[in-house]
Amino acid sequence: MTAADPDLQSFAPRRRFRVGARWLPYLLSLPALLVCIGILIPFGTAVFYSLQRYRLSQPWARQMNWGENYLNFMSDPAFWNTLQVSLTYAGLTVSLELLLGLGIAMLLRESNRLNNAISVMLLLPLMTAPALAALMWKLMTNPNFGVLSYGARLIGLEEFKWASDPSTAMLTVVIVDIWVYTPFIMILLLAGLRSLPKQPFEAAALDGVPPLFVFWRITLPMLTPYILTATLFRLLESIQQFDIIYAMTQGGPGDTLTVFQVEAYLNFFQSTNVGRSAALLMILWAITYFLSSIFIKNWLRLRERARGDA
Amino acid sequence: MYEKEKGLIDAFIRGDLSRRGLLRGLAATGVSASAASALVNMAQSRALAADFDWKKHSGTGVKLLLNKHPYADAMIANIETFKAMTGIDVSYDVFPEDVYFDKVTAALASGSTEYDAFMTGAYMTWTYGPAGWTVDLNEYIMDPAKTAPGYNWDDVLPGLRASTAWNGVPGSALGTEDAKQWCIPWGYELNSLTYNRRMFDQAGVTPPENMEGLMEAAAKLGRDIPNAYGVGVRGSRSWATIHPGFLSAYANFGQKDLNVGADGKLSAAMNTAESKAFHAQWVKMIQDSGPRDWSTYTWYQVGTDLGAGASAMIYDADILGYFMNGGDNAEAGNLGFAAFTPNPAASAPTPNVWIWSLAMSTFSTKKDAAWYFMQWASGVEHGTFGATKMDFVNPVRKSVWSNEDFRNRLEASYPGYVAQHDASAPGATIYFTAQPLFFDLTTEWAATLQQMVAGQAPVDEGLDQLAASVDRQLKEAGLG
Amino acid sequence: MDHASPMTRWLKGLALTLVVIFFMFPILWIVLMSFQTNETILRMPPSVVFTPTLENYQALITGKLVSSAGVLEIQFMRNLMNSVILSVCSVALSLLLGVPAAYAFARHKFRGSEDIAFTLLSFRFAPPLLVLLPLALYFQDLGLANTYIGLIWVYQLICLPLILWIVRGYFEDISPDVEHAYRLAGHSWFSTFRRIALPLAGPGIAAAGLLAFIFAWNNFVFALVLASADKQPVTVGALAFVTASGIQYGQIAAGIVLSIAPTLALALYAQRYLVEGLSLGAVKG
Repeated sequence: MTAADPDLQSFAPRRRFRVGARWLPYLLSLPALLVCIGILIPFGTAVFYSLQRYRLSQPWARQMNWGENYLNFMSDPAFWNTLQVSLTYAGLTVSLELLLGLGIAMLLRESNRLNNAISVMLLLPLMTAPALAALMWKLMTNPNFGVLSYGARLIGLEEFKWASDPSTAMLTVVIVDIWVYTPFIMILLLAGLRSLPKQPFEAAALDGVPPLFVFWRITLPMLTPYILTATLFRLLESIQQFDIIYAMTQGGPGDTLTVFQVEAYLNFFQSTNVGRSAALLMILWAITYFLSSIFIKNWLRLRERARGDA
Repeated sequence: MYEKEKGLIDAFIRGDLSRRGLLRGLAATGVSASAASALVNMAQSRALAADFDWKKHSGTGVKLLLNKHPYADAMIANIETFKAMTGIDVSYDVFPEDVYFDKVTAALASGSTEYDAFMTGAYMTWTYGPAGWTVDLNEYIMDPAKTAPGYNWDDVLPGLRASTAWNGVPGSALGTEDAKQWCIPWGYELNSLTYNRRMFDQAGVTPPENMEGLMEAAAKLGRDIPNAYGVGVRGSRSWATIHPGFLSAYANFGQKDLNVGADGKLSAAMNTAESKAFHAQWVKMIQDSGPRDWSTYTWYQVGTDLGAGASAMIYDADILGYFMNGGDNAEAGNLGFAAFTPNPAASAPTPNVWIWSLAMSTFSTKKDAAWYFMQWASGVEHGTFGATKMDFVNPVRKSVWSNEDFRNRLEASYPGYVAQHDASAPGATIYFTAQPLFFDLTTEWAATLQQMVAGQAPVDEGLDQLAASVDRQLKEAGLG
Repeated sequence: MDHASPMTRWLKGLALTLVVIFFMFPILWIVLMSFQTNETILRMPPSVVFTPTLENYQALITGKLVSSAGVLEIQFMRNLMNSVILSVCSVALSLLLGVPAAYAFARHKFRGSEDIAFTLLSFRFAPPLLVLLPLALYFQDLGLANTYIGLIWVYQLICLPLILWIVRGYFEDISPDVEHAYRLAGHSWFSTFRRIALPLAGPGIAAAGLLAFIFAWNNFVFALVLASADKQPVTVGALAFVTASGIQYGQIAAGIVLSIAPTLALALYAQRYLVEGLSLGAVKG
């Protein structure tokens, strides 16, 4: 928003409040800012740690090594694996959730009693804590009594081992992620779909335009801002996934699921290698910062547009 | 206290009356069994108190950090005795094992003064000790002003005393002259076979004698017993997968985790031909007869399956089998125990041990009171109480092992347990090389095993890669 | 409006049925499990025919698990209480701090306002461990270890940006004319804020508060890293049902049901606000 905003002018304080009013906004936002600034301090510490050779088990060897932790990543297969696993996880979950979410939103587009009831029901997985959702799925995929393991055997997948086999572990956690988060995308896109103007669709229906054409040429373009936002939002959370993977496999089997935050957690608590852990998180932060700045810019633009339409 | 009871108890303390005779006598006077043993414990504490000022720290409070474990349960069940004897108040936080060690690390790394003493294993002190988080307990044990005369440190099994002491030099042996006593052994487990006798009879299998035999027996059991697999071992991506049966067998083939050079430098030792041959056997055993989702198995799952009849045997902690033979487990009472020597060329088992121990936090502000608690909890009286009344096995003291009540209890309900223990104990020690990268290396080792079992990496290639990675990390940490 | 052929309608119905099954089945199954003993849970093939038992819930609520091995103490109710304390206090504090700030950002464009807003927002996207792990090392020095206050402060990382974000958008959507008129009538700034702005933004605040509550309730990693045993919320507490004498699956299930029941009930009761909050939070702002 620019300084020429008419709202701003119209709301300009009158003269006798000038001094107070000038400081008022700062006063109002200061407490919130202070609480959050406190959080910046540990952040700064993390930056500092990431530039150190710092293992809790070897306190005497602690020293600044500047970029060495980062340089070591270059030749460290475990790091490249972490990067690859994190990106795969984020890519898979977001794209599948987007497709599913869009599909479900299209199905529920018409506002009637049944559709509304279903959309409320679909909120429930989203309200389940991801860590507990992982626990639920762990119980259901237990090979001894799990209903899903039984189901897999019924349809001939005798040796389907869900999260305990490297070839299916990723798939399993992705399914849990889909279960938890698809409703989020669905709700968002549904809100978008239902707020789209009716005229283009009515005109298309009158002209007998085939539904597929309507979808590709009218619905999708008009929905794009919503899709973009939903995607970025999920991407940010997904690349930082911790709860589901930690509660389900703690990063295993093998190195199949050692995403950034899980690897950093294990590095910190089990290997007590604080330096490496902090450096890993800094790289994750750089990735998310890049993504979130795109996201916030996009979001601001969208907001402007929404206001312009209103 | 009534005179008659008092007389009986004092006779017991003097040694004129056996514990059983005493309890019978008390029962005759109408004292219930539990009240009787509480009385006895109190009387024993009175006797203890006679030659040592147990009340010195009366009014202090100590706080413990505990893992959810039968040892902790046994201690909590008896804690009133300690409070009454010393006047020290005891509070505690109990965490499930999944997060327990992370919590210990967090508390110690932050220099928290909240906890005075905590449960730990020997491996952990290889981090905690050098980091300066735990106190060298020799200062306390050797100080007659702080330690009661009846504590009798030499009564603790020597191998366990040595295994919990380290001089902090990476690669150095445990329990050397200059070693610091980072923790006090509390209860321990060694690794052997626990098997389902019903299933073994049904399949006509006898406890295996070596690795080949184990693989064959497990395969046969898996085939012949419906709804059960052959052998349970741990498999999660953690050090805990390496240290039980796996390392015990590995050590039996004369293999080591690390080589220590003449210059004190460490290097990986797991890619020898013998090691590869053993790994191949182990991997095949899991593929053929292990649990389906082996790679998520912690000791809880290994135990639960055995107790529920989902597995025919386990190669894991003997006490895990012990716990599964009781409680409301479906197979309680059906389990048998056997020592195990995987290498046909070896003469005796070489079980790696896990020692639940008590350590004192450097940041404790009540160290003397905490030590009172620690010496009581690791003392003869509580050890005897725990071993005879609760599931505080395996005891770490010779005197408890020779307690007849305890041996009879084991013999009656846990067939083969004592024999298993007696055969395994001489070779039981920690077979890891003490060094601060223990968790890095074992976690990676477990991850490599998982890849091998899943067929993602061939055994020899996987081990070569593991060795290369271990060497690289050792160098990076200035140890290799 | 629906001119679709019966075939498409049938396909649509089928697709919706599958969707509902996929998303509802896990919850349903866990609820069923929570009424069973280990014995019936461990049956293969799984079956829905069983005699329901309240044993698991009873054990959790009384905090005593009675088995042949003795009585085991369970802290589950305490975990539940912790979750309530942490979530409610965090959201209350966030509203107290966040709503005035959101108002300031929406109504008074001041120097640096966009930057401050951006900074606050960006906390929402920082990897939580980046802040938590260093904190784990010196929470003690700050005197915040083992206190609700320390945790509630850290929970602001989740709640505050969310509330700022949604409520700010809501304020901006409301025309300032009413407030302006009220001010011209000689009322003070504060009374304008309290009597006009706050009530008008009520639905937005409610949506933001509800959403923040759910995020706080569902949080796992903050307490996992920072809290001591007696301050753990249910998300961490539910991991504690494994004992050496066997895993009590029925109790794990009952624990999950009790832990997600509050958020599910909230979702059903206040779904309109939640949907509004979600779509506002992510899109409109």
